[in-house]
Amino acid sequence: MEHKFNTSLVSGFGPAKMLPDLKFAEMEAGFDCGGGTYKITAEEVAKFSALMGDSNKGDVMVPVGMIYIFGLRICWDRKVFLDGAIRAGDKIVFHKAAKIGDTITSKLSIADKKEVKKEKDGKVRINRFLSVDMNATNQAGDKIVDIQMSFLLPASMQ
Amino acid sequence: MSKIDFASVNIGDALPTKSIVVDQQLINDYADICGDYNSIHVDVEGMKSNTMFGGSTIAHGTINVEPVLQAICDIQGLQWPAASTRVDLQFRAPVKPGFTIVSNLVVKEKKTDAGKNILVCDMKIQNKDGGDCAMGSAEIVC
Repeated sequence: MEHKFNTSLVSGFGPAKMLPDLKFAEMEAGFDCGGGTYKITAEEVAKFSALMGDSNKGDVMVPVGMIYIFGLRICWDRKVFLDGAIRAGDKIVFHKAAKIGDTITSKLSIADKKEVKKEKDGKVRINRFLSVDMNATNQAGDKIVDIQMSFLLPASMQ
Repeated sequence: MSKIDFASVNIGDALPTKSIVVDQQLINDYADICGDYNSIHVDVEGMKSNTMFGGSTIAHGTINVEPVLQAICDIQGLQWPAASTRVDLQFRAPVKPGFTIVSNLVVKEKKTDAGKNILVCDMKIQNKDGGDCAMGSAEIVC
């Protein structure tokens, strides 16, 4: 499968060492995966609202699903989505609403990792999971949303 | 602001739903906005020979969550979920073109925390045939 991503959509920041450079044993909670900054424009809000049928009528508020749009851009830019990893789940906590014109900074870091034993047909398999925090704040430093993403790591890391 | 009267909601009540019709055009347009053009999402011809997802493209996982996010905002009468609203979900199955995905929120607990009324709900995002695409829980501040 081919992985294509338009990296011109974000301005990322962070250390040169990223998740693909780490072995599972080196993936420790608190590891800084970097992040990205973006300004929410009225044009993008209108485009997203039209696509999702969200009832945003051009007000200053941003449709809630857009936080994922920006999250995707940053996660691809910072290589948080490892090749072959499967998104297992998300834990989302909402804070202050994002508004058109806000400059949002999203920071990524390893939250946790775990190994889960699974027995099938008499064979024991260990599945390795990684959780990554994405914490988004606005230009005033107010929290916008916290998302913890969990991934089942690819077979090559099992 | 909330469209739900907290006092009159009962355990077991199903909250209003939101749905999204997913087709390839929506997935392509979503890719244009988020910049994620992975072949599993947009390469219709290439994915026909890929058995992992039954010869089909799949929607970006974040599209799956959209109905429940919209439903929560609608229930709260807001455009952005009220502060301290929580969603905890596990992805169960990929969403493919042709699916109509629907939010399903059922109240399992009512509580008041720090002066905020909260509906704790079992949450599912299902295809119209009843298959679970994602499931988990939500805490909706009313």
